[in-house]
Amino acid sequence: MGDTDSVLGRLVGSPRARLAALLAPSGGLLVALLFAPLSFMVAVSFARVSDASRIIWHPTAANYTALVDATPFWSTPFVTSLLLSVGIAAATTVVCLVAAYPVAYALARRDRGRRVVFFLVLLPFFTMYLVRVYSWYLLFGDGGVLNDIATVLGVGPVDAFGFGVPAIVVGLAHAQFPYMLLTLYAGIEAVDFDVLEAARDLGASRRAVFRDVLLPLTLPNVVAGSLFVFVPAFGSFVAPRFLSGSTVLLVGQLIAGRIDSFNIASASAAATVVVVLIAAAFGVAARYTDASAGGDH
Amino acid sequence: MSPRQPDASDADAPADTTSDAGHPHSTVGRRSFLAATGAAASATTLAGCLGGTTGTPTINVLTWEHYARDDVAAAVEDAVDATVNVTKSISSEKMFAGWQAGKDQQFDIAIPNNNYVPKFAAAGLAAPVPVSDLDSYPAIYDFFKNAMDTQLAVDGTPYGVPIRFGYYGYGYDSRAVPDHDPSWSVLFDGIDGVDLSSAVALYDNHFKAMSAAALHLGFRDAFDGDRITLSESQLGAVTDALIDQKQSLLSGYIAGDASFVKGITKGDFHVGHTGRMNVTNMRADGTDWIEMATPTEGALSWFEAAVVSTQTDHPDLAWEVVNEYIAPETGATLAREGHAPSVNPETTAHLSERRTELYGAIDPARLADMIPSKAVANEDAWRAAWERVKTA
Repeated sequence: MGDTDSVLGRLVGSPRARLAALLAPSGGLLVALLFAPLSFMVAVSFARVSDASRIIWHPTAANYTALVDATPFWSTPFVTSLLLSVGIAAATTVVCLVAAYPVAYALARRDRGRRVVFFLVLLPFFTMYLVRVYSWYLLFGDGGVLNDIATVLGVGPVDAFGFGVPAIVVGLAHAQFPYMLLTLYAGIEAVDFDVLEAARDLGASRRAVFRDVLLPLTLPNVVAGSLFVFVPAFGSFVAPRFLSGSTVLLVGQLIAGRIDSFNIASASAAATVVVVLIAAAFGVAARYTDASAGGDH
Repeated sequence: MSPRQPDASDADAPADTTSDAGHPHSTVGRRSFLAATGAAASATTLAGCLGGTTGTPTINVLTWEHYARDDVAAAVEDAVDATVNVTKSISSEKMFAGWQAGKDQQFDIAIPNNNYVPKFAAAGLAAPVPVSDLDSYPAIYDFFKNAMDTQLAVDGTPYGVPIRFGYYGYGYDSRAVPDHDPSWSVLFDGIDGVDLSSAVALYDNHFKAMSAAALHLGFRDAFDGDRITLSESQLGAVTDALIDQKQSLLSGYIAGDASFVKGITKGDFHVGHTGRMNVTNMRADGTDWIEMATPTEGALSWFEAAVVSTQTDHPDLAWEVVNEYIAPETGATLAREGHAPSVNPETTAHLSERRTELYGAIDPARLADMIPSKAVANEDAWRAAWERVKTA
């Protein structure tokens, strides 16, 4: 018994065992809710679906080749929707970054009004996403409030206020803005502002201080915030459906549509490609931010 | 969810008899409250379990919104010894996909559009119809009896029971669109002298949108036979027509009836692909500017048909519920709620004269002049073409 106790004591008492015990619940959740469904999805992507909509476990790469089966290959619905999704997600990210950076900087530099601004920024989170999208739906469109106002002012209707890509970008930017703002604020708030003032004292212009000092110091947060915005925007399908009048098809909508029609092998192949692309983007971003953090800081 | 159990912190804490503001309030202590809540929850759970084994059986139905109206559910429950639990769906495709994913064990009945019944049957999800057990069957229009034996049958065995019917054409805002010869071409080429650029809406559904385009292009023959069949060249022409329309007249694709009402009322479009039931609903609600057009090339008719799951624990009861949906009184209630005619003409005896005129007495012989929506022969090709349209 004594030997058993000592072995058990060593196992439980060792740092590695304690770490394993700490990680076990979250690891279990990851396996059950992320890796298992992902594995199933990848497996289905190599299967076929019968005419009676049954999965046939017969290995095939046909679902992947079908994604690019056209001349030129980028003219397939999958690649077209993928590229459009990348474009819209990138535009959303840029809009959020440009809008959030000055606000985050001001919040980090000033205590006054900080709580009010944070409250206002987070206020939309207290409303359902669908309701927020629907409010944009009422504003945009040929019969929307924005075009009504433009018409009353004698300049409308304005195409940009109709349903389409601009409306999608606005809707997504509104939804993702807080993620970018909070991530940037965490980074800027940690910056030693004496460094900025020292740069100014040494004759650097405001633009040079931003470009050569502040931006490099907050680059990991810029990258992290961009990922927080880009990834959900890339896979979104509710906002695009409402705010484009369903006239565009983003990759999330394409996958959802294929699942709805029980073409799940094809949908799984498309989703697997998307997951791989996003994982690769994460890898590149992590590597880049690590390098910048280790090199310049 | 189980009630929260008192833990060590609760045991150490004194009974809370003071509010945050410091005012005493002589209510129960926290421990007593938790004990009472726990007892109540346990009693509720026990009652639920007992009720599940000894109470009235529940028939779960997956279908359209009108079936979930209180009056309809009450009419069915009054006639059948079952609790009817209706889950709303907005598309036949989602009903089918849900059952494919295992919901055939959750639901006893689904009521998709007629063209989906052969799919349910082919996938082994739908049970054969025990026609002789359906008391209301002899009264339904011959048109639908024939449909049961053809469109809704696989190898001669019927798998669905028609419930109510209607047809697709297009609705328009008469304040912005003048009287004109009704034609599918209005949706694709517009009307001479009327600016309809970005003012036309089509269904966001490959079957409905592509069928409309096919009829506009004159491919009437594709709708003959048991399945709708477009040749490769016809499919290409349909795709091109939809892409051209998207770039000139299209305002947007609409998900369903609610989207049509919202969009045309908001002014996002003036002409929209829709079912007659939708326009009738709007007019009944007081919208007098909405008009329905029935294209001369042929409107696309539809009917809903009930299927019973092969996995149901209560097959006899499920068929009783289906039978009740086409019974004269319940069928009339359903017609009143949905503004769509029943397949049973005896329902008109339970409708007012105005309602009968609006939707109660549409002779299905009119449907014989229309084009029946059916299952599609080469549906994968249709879906692929529709994706090309959406990404164009």
